[in-house]
Amino acid sequence: MLITKLKEREEILSVLNSKNVFIFKCFGCKEVYLPEGEIDLLLTELKCMERMARVDYLCREEFTVKYLGKYADVLKKADKIVVFSCGVGVQVVAKCIPETPVIPGCDTHYINGFQGLTTQDVDCEMCGQCWLNLTGGICPITSCSKSLLNGPCGGANKDGKCEVNKDMDCGWVLIYKRLKLLGEEEILKRHSVNIRDYKLIINGDKKE
Amino acid sequence: MDYTKYRIKAEKEVREVISNINNLCIIWCKKCFSEFKEEPADECGKVVEVARELNIEIIECRGIDFLCNNHLTGKVLKNFKDNIPLAVISCGIGIQFVSNFFNGNRKVLALADSLPQSGNATSIVGYHGIALGEEKCAACGQCYLEKTGGICPVVSCAKSLLNGPCGGANKDGKCEVNKELPCAWIEIYKRLEKQKKLMDKNIDIRNYNIFSVEEKVRYVKNNQERRKEGFYGGLYPLEKKELTETIPLKIFDPPDVFSVFLSQHTGRPAKLIVKAGDRVKKGQKIGEPDGFISSAVHSPVSGKVIAIEERIHPVSRIPQVAITIENDGTEILDGSVESLTDWDKLPKERLIEILKEKGIVGLGGAMFPSSVKLCPPKPVDTLIVNGCECEPYLNADNRLIIEHPEEILKGIEIVRYLLEVSNIIFAIEDNKKEAIEVIRRCSENYPALKLETPRTKYPQGAERMLIKRTTGRDVPEGGLPFDVGCVVFNVGTLYSIYRAIYEGMPVIERPVTVAGENAIAAGNYIIRIGTHFSDILDTCFGIKSLPSQYELRMGGPMMGVLQKDVNSSVIKGTTGLLLLEKYPVGVSEENTCIRCGRCVDACPMELIPYYYAYYGQKCLWNEMVKYKVKNCIECGCCQYICSSKIDLISLIKKGKRNADNKT
Repeated sequence: MLITKLKEREEILSVLNSKNVFIFKCFGCKEVYLPEGEIDLLLTELKCMERMARVDYLCREEFTVKYLGKYADVLKKADKIVVFSCGVGVQVVAKCIPETPVIPGCDTHYINGFQGLTTQDVDCEMCGQCWLNLTGGICPITSCSKSLLNGPCGGANKDGKCEVNKDMDCGWVLIYKRLKLLGEEEILKRHSVNIRDYKLIINGDKKE
Repeated sequence: MDYTKYRIKAEKEVREVISNINNLCIIWCKKCFSEFKEEPADECGKVVEVARELNIEIIECRGIDFLCNNHLTGKVLKNFKDNIPLAVISCGIGIQFVSNFFNGNRKVLALADSLPQSGNATSIVGYHGIALGEEKCAACGQCYLEKTGGICPVVSCAKSLLNGPCGGANKDGKCEVNKELPCAWIEIYKRLEKQKKLMDKNIDIRNYNIFSVEEKVRYVKNNQERRKEGFYGGLYPLEKKELTETIPLKIFDPPDVFSVFLSQHTGRPAKLIVKAGDRVKKGQKIGEPDGFISSAVHSPVSGKVIAIEERIHPVSRIPQVAITIENDGTEILDGSVESLTDWDKLPKERLIEILKEKGIVGLGGAMFPSSVKLCPPKPVDTLIVNGCECEPYLNADNRLIIEHPEEILKGIEIVRYLLEVSNIIFAIEDNKKEAIEVIRRCSENYPALKLETPRTKYPQGAERMLIKRTTGRDVPEGGLPFDVGCVVFNVGTLYSIYRAIYEGMPVIERPVTVAGENAIAAGNYIIRIGTHFSDILDTCFGIKSLPSQYELRMGGPMMGVLQKDVNSSVIKGTTGLLLLEKYPVGVSEENTCIRCGRCVDACPMELIPYYYAYYGQKCLWNEMVKYKVKNCIECGCCQYICSSKIDLISLIKKGKRNADNKT
């Protein structure tokens, strides 16, 4: 999933302090977490709210073209455009208005796996070879901090917490418990897990 | 474009997974992020074939929209027969969700692999945002785009080089890794040249150590809590209440001419009982209720009826009969306007009859005749006073609570007497601090009244959501609040009940918030019913006609009805009149859905709105009925959130109308 964070304060200040800057803020996308409150605070403090347009779905080029059309007059005078959005939005704006430098206001972070359309506790890393049949429906790639496929590393403490991060449950302990509930812990003995095919990540959807 | 996230496993593997079992339930996810141009194909064909060959009995096979939507899917999963293995065809999220749901109590089989779409960048990887466009973001955590002219070197360069080209590109500027790809660094150079600058800074090396589990957990938790707070779905639009929240209610000067519609309520229009040329007095009945679900209409001024004519109705937007009255400025009251202080000595039937005669309807916007609500067919134990006003911009109810709490409480007393309810809940959203304080003070002397201040969320003021939030009761599908022992009254309605009894005054005026762009006199006004929108625009915005870059809405920005004709007039359901700047991207009925699923997530009625777009465009009204279009409350959440800007509300209205015509 994507989480955006404001860039370093100094970095944004150096851009926003110039007069001829226009600002786009892309709001409301559930797939991307945007710190809208923080952005507004900063823009209010710098008295930039007047030069900001709050729009949605900058990632859709046909929308972006219309937004740029609506603010064409101010944009003509602007020598920079600052975009608060995920990296996709910044790139689309830059593509549609290539003559003007487009500055991202946020960094976009990738946080461990894809969370589906509804943000939730489970993640999927889209590895292209689903292991869930062997692991009681708990993904070893996202629930084990080392993404081990063949069992626990042995580093978990007595409470079943991961040695990498004590706040995290050991994925393999969870898997064992789940399989036991299902009466299928034998699976772990029967199946040797194949190693991952990383080629799938590169040309995954081309595979046939 | 199609960013479908799973592929069914190879037949050999499917065979292996489902061998050794006798029977099977299959669920498959109808996928997300692909243009919705045809109905999703049944994914389980191959599995059914294999199962038949292996003599495995298939008990149930079902496609589900957005399997990862834990709330809606959970409701479906509860109904699956026990102890039968469940095969899931979906991306890894769906499979994990299902197996976590049963938590070891049932065998869950994974029959699909997720398709990789993210990773660390060689050509086609990266996140595509919500749109199905070409630009992608690898979410590296250190955006370089300001230095590279807005072209991402992490995604676009096959080697994700940050400090310039590798030198391997051929003469045509194509990448040495993949001849079909242009060299990203050549593209970056060209772009920067256009901007008359070249790279002036060094690019830092990538920091691969930005990952934080805590942050994710916090975000997920926060997101889920917000989403599920009080009721499923809903939204948090910009409130914009600050524009008018501190402006006291002010009487809007009565204009010279009024047009009073005969249809100002749910049900049949009132029967006309005056004719052109008649003289009428303020508060005189000019329209008689026609049937059980109907209401009376009264003259807002004393004067002369100058025409009975058709005008564009602000809600139905088709011509309907209105009585045009010229104001003679004398304000002479009709004889029927007289106070009734000993109302509690009257039989209840008589009191309800009086309220019907005074034209009391729900003033929250729905305009349902209150007399009907006051004769519930089932026992009722709870009265909910709706002071939520969850629509952005609007403050009319808010001001009414602040300025007339005693009157509202007297209105509550009347309703309590009629319904004999034991619980009274006064609900005000937590963004109205002043109103909450006022009611808190009043309720000190009124122990039966319980004040609830739920956190602001749209559409909390809708009956069902409010009942769910304040009492935890679920109004059944197709049911009414009576079915769970509740009656909901808007504060405005209670105030008008007070005035009808204590002052004898029928509904001839109501509080209305007028706000929007360039307003010269935004505020909360007590406006007479029948006042033309043009008079309000003139007074509050200083304009005579609608400028093309603005749109006029009656009601709030979410549910408000767009007005094309300024000669339409204020009716009993006019909660606000907003003149707002048009959004650069307009909604259209023709846009294609991309199955982003956001409408499903936002619909408080737990419907699947994107089918209304699909079937509405094809005019398949029966299909819309199958997807429960009649349950829709037209709150506008789906349209607000729609990433394709589809005019869902208009399609839904069409669907409902056509479905009604058939039956």
